[in-house]
Amino acid sequence: MRLTRRGFLKVATVTAGAGLAAAGTARAAGPAPVDPGLPGVLVDTTRCAGCRACEGACAEVNQNPAPDAAADLSVRRDTSQHVFTVVNQAEGPAGEPRFGKKQCMHCLAPACASACPVRAMDKLPSGPVVYDASRCMGCRYCMVACAFDIPKYEYERAAPRVRKCGFCAERQAAGLEPACTSACPTGAITFGKRAALLDEAKRRIYAEGSRYVRRVYGEHEVGGTSWLYISDIPFEQLALATGMPERPYSDLVAGALSAPPFVMTLWPPLLMGLYAFSKRRTEIEQKEDHHG
Amino acid sequence: MAEAHAVALPGAPSFFREKVLLGMGWGEYLRSLATPWNALAAVILVVGIPLLAYRFAAGLGATTALTQAYPWGIWIGFDMMTGIVLAAGGFTIGATVQLLGLKDYHGIERSAILTAFLGYLMAVFGLLADLGRPWNIVQAMFNYGSASPLFEVAWCVMCYTTVLLLEFTVPFFEWMGWRKLHAVLKKMLIALTVLSVIFSTMHQAALGSLFLLAPTKLHPLWYSPFIFIFFFISAILAGISMAIIESTISHRVFARQLTGKHVDVDGLVVGLGKAGAVVAFAYFFIKLQGVIDGHAWGHLLTGWGALFLVETVGLVLVPSMLFAYGARHNKAKAVKVAAVMVIGGIILNRLNVSVIAFNWTSATRYVPSWMEVWISLTLVTLGVVAFRWIVNRMPILREDSAFPQGH
Amino acid sequence: MTSDFLSIYPAKLMEYGLGVTYLLLFIPMWRYVQGGRRQEAAAVASTRRDAERWPAVAVAAPWPSLGWFQVPAGVALHPGHTWARLEADGLVSVGIDDFAQRLVSPTTVELPRAGALVMQGEGAVALGDGRRSVPLVSPVSGTVVSVNRAVAEDPKLLQNAYGTGWLFKVKAPRLEADQRQLLHAGAARHFLDGEAEALAMRASPEVGQVLQDGGAPVDGLARALAGDDGWEALAREFFHTEKGTP
Repeated sequence: MRLTRRGFLKVATVTAGAGLAAAGTARAAGPAPVDPGLPGVLVDTTRCAGCRACEGACAEVNQNPAPDAAADLSVRRDTSQHVFTVVNQAEGPAGEPRFGKKQCMHCLAPACASACPVRAMDKLPSGPVVYDASRCMGCRYCMVACAFDIPKYEYERAAPRVRKCGFCAERQAAGLEPACTSACPTGAITFGKRAALLDEAKRRIYAEGSRYVRRVYGEHEVGGTSWLYISDIPFEQLALATGMPERPYSDLVAGALSAPPFVMTLWPPLLMGLYAFSKRRTEIEQKEDHHG
Repeated sequence: MAEAHAVALPGAPSFFREKVLLGMGWGEYLRSLATPWNALAAVILVVGIPLLAYRFAAGLGATTALTQAYPWGIWIGFDMMTGIVLAAGGFTIGATVQLLGLKDYHGIERSAILTAFLGYLMAVFGLLADLGRPWNIVQAMFNYGSASPLFEVAWCVMCYTTVLLLEFTVPFFEWMGWRKLHAVLKKMLIALTVLSVIFSTMHQAALGSLFLLAPTKLHPLWYSPFIFIFFFISAILAGISMAIIESTISHRVFARQLTGKHVDVDGLVVGLGKAGAVVAFAYFFIKLQGVIDGHAWGHLLTGWGALFLVETVGLVLVPSMLFAYGARHNKAKAVKVAAVMVIGGIILNRLNVSVIAFNWTSATRYVPSWMEVWISLTLVTLGVVAFRWIVNRMPILREDSAFPQGH
Repeated sequence: MTSDFLSIYPAKLMEYGLGVTYLLLFIPMWRYVQGGRRQEAAAVASTRRDAERWPAVAVAAPWPSLGWFQVPAGVALHPGHTWARLEADGLVSVGIDDFAQRLVSPTTVELPRAGALVMQGEGAVALGDGRRSVPLVSPVSGTVVSVNRAVAEDPKLLQNAYGTGWLFKVKAPRLEADQRQLLHAGAARHFLDGEAEALAMRASPEVGQVLQDGGAPVDGLARALAGDDGWEALAREFFHTEKGTP
C-alpha cells in the first residue's frame, strides 16, 4: 500500500521536526552573565536639553552631512543612511520638553549580527556592533531582523551600503569616548562600563523615588543592549521601540539552526531504510508474480 | 524528431542541426518559432531584459519600491521564496520514484527534476537582482555567518542546485550520447536523491526560520517557533501539486513526443492526489496548532484573521477535501483543480509571511513597482522558455531509444 | 508575544483537543481517500507493467515463417489460432490468426456483444460459410469493450488478420497470468510452422506435393482438404473446439 510509506515518511518528518524544535527551544535556561568590562552608555532623558550637539559630533566623525538646524524635533524623525542619530522631542510630566536620542543600541546579542550570513554585521569582542561593507552582499536581512529598525540602506547608490551608528569603535579602540558622549554638555549621555552604568541608573531611580519610570530601558530588551535609558515619561513617547521579547534574538533561531546536523545524520538511514524496504517489497511482489 | 545517431551530412554542421535546430535549417527553424505563445514571451523579454540591465546600472532605488521599512519585496518574497517552494517537485517525485520505489511515476520524474532545476536557477537570478552588492555573494563561502538562517539557506541552495544539475545531466548525457558519463551519473542517482531530500529539508525549513528573527514584525497568526516545520511540510505539498500541474501541462503541450508510448498521466495524477489529500489535511491542522501555541486565536476575528482563514481553510483544507474526492472517485479533473488551489495557497502563504503580513503594524504598506513585477515575470518567462527548449530536444518526457529505461 | 501564565491552560486544552480531533478525523479521512475502485487502479498498474514487458517497438517486416503463415511481432498467439495484442490504451485486441483465416476464409463472422465476458480457452467468436460455422476460443479472459463491426459486415477484412481484421477488444484484468499460456515471437513462429506441416500431412499426396513445392496455400484450405462437409470438423480440430469440448 503505497500511501502507508508516504504517510510514514510524513509522520516521521513532522515528529522529528517537532522533537528538534522542542529540544532547541528548551535550551537557554537563564540569562548568561554579562562581561562587566563591556562598554555602555547611560541616557538620562531628564537631563537632555535638546541641543543636538551629539547629532553634530556624530555627523562630523562619520563624514555625514551636518544635521538640519531648522528641523522640528516634535515631528518624529528617524535615522537614515546619512543620519546615524536623531533626537526626538516629547512632553514631560509638567509640560516641559523631553528629548530622546535614537541610535543603534549595540545589543549584547545583536539580531543583525545573528542575521548576517557573511558577518558583515559583526559584534566586536570589545562591544560595538560594526559593519564591514567589503563583506556585505546587500541581502538586507539585518534590516529585517533589527527590532529597533536601525540599519538603513543606500538604495540610491550603485554599490549600496547598510548605514548605522558604529559606537565610534575606532575611537574606543584608541581609548577615546564616542563622539556624541564627549560632545554632550549636560551629561545626559555618559559613557562607561555597562555594568557600572546599570548600577548608576538603578541608583538614580531608587534615589529619586517616584520620578523615574521604574525600569531601565535596555537592561533586558532583546537580552540586553549597550545603551541604557532612564526616563520620567513612558519610553514609547520618546520614540523608543517597545514590545520586543526579552530573549536574545540569537536564541529565537537556535532551535531551528540546531536541526541541520540532525537532519544530515538521521535522514540517510531513514531514507535508505525506506529504499531497502520498498526494494524488498518489489522483489517479493515480482517473485509472487512469477510463481502465481 | 531527430534521433540519437549523428549522420554526417556532407558540408552541414550535422550535430548542431540535428540536436539544436531539431533537424531543420535556420530559415525553417525560425519560421517554426512564430507562435502566439512565443510572441507573448518575446514581448515580455524584450522589455524585461533591458529592465534587468537597467536595474544593475541604476540601482535598487530607481527600479524598486523597497523602503527602509520594507527591505524585502517580491523579488525575495516571490521569486526567491515562492520559486524555491514551487520547485519542490524535484525532491518529492525523485524520492517517490527512487526511494519509495513507485516506478510508475518515472514518467514524470525527469520533468519534475527539470522544473526544480530551472526553478532554482530562476530563484538565484531573482536573488542576484535583489542583492545590493551581488558580487559579494561569494563571501558566503569564506565568511561563515553560521548563526544566520540565511547562511544555511545560501549553502543548502548552492549544494542543492549542484545536486539538481547532476541529476539533470542524466538526460543531458543521453542527448549528447556520452555513454560513460551517463553510466556514472546514473549509478549516483540514489545517493543524489538522498542528498536532494536532505538539502531540501534543510533549506525549505531554513527559509521559514528566516522569519524567526522578526517576532515584532510578522503578524502573530503567521509567526511561530514552528514556522520552519510549516515551510517544510508545505514544500512537500507544493511538490506534489506542482508535479500534478506540470505533468498535466507538459503531457498535453508535448503530446507529439509521446505518440505510441502511453503514460497514464491521469492515473499518476490521481495517485498524487491521494498523497496530497493526506498531507494537506495534516498541514491544515499543524497550522492551527501553531496559532494555538502562539496564543494568537484572538486574531482570527480580525481582518488579518480573515486573510489567514482564506489561506488555510480556503486554500489548504478545501483542496484537501477536493484531493480526497478526486482520489477516491478517480477524477483527475478534481485533483488538478485542487492542485491549482494548493499552489495558490502556498504562493499566498509565502507572500503573506514575507511581504503582506510583514510589518503588519506599520502605517505604510509595500506595493511592488511595475518594474519589479515585470522583472519577476521576465524571470518566470525565461524559465518556461528554457523548459520548452530542453524538453523539445532532450529525453525528458520521451525515452531515448539508445538509453532504454530498465527498471 | 507576552502571554500571562494562566492563558497557558486554555491554550493547552485547545492544543490537545485539536490534536485528538485531528486523530479522530484522520481515520475516516484515510479510509475515504484509500477507498474507491482499487481494482481499477491495480488493473491499470498491472497493464502498465505488461506494457513494459511487451515492448511496443515495431519491427518493420514480420518475421518469416515457412513462408505460409505469418505472425508479426507484438502479437501473442493462442494455440487455438487466435491472437492477442496489448494496445497503447491498455486494452487487448483480439483476432484470428493468418492460419485460421486461410483455413476457413469465412463469409460470416459472429462476434461477442460489448460487455460480454470472455474466458481464455472458451469459445468467443465463430467463423462460417453460410451453412456451417466453427467457433474459436478467446486468447485472454476479460470483458469485451468494443467490437469491430466492419469485419462483421465485410469478412474479407479478415485477410489483414492482424490489422484491420481485428475482432474485438477486451479489458483483461489477468493479462499477466493469461499471457503465460500464449505463444510469443519465436515460439509462435515455430508453432505455426508445426501447424502448417500438420496441415500438409492431411493433404492428399498431390496437394501436399504442390504445397511443399512452395505454392502458396489457397484460401479456404479446410474446404479444399476436407470438402464442404468435412471442413468444419477439420477446423475444429485445429481450433481446439471439437464438438464435445466445453
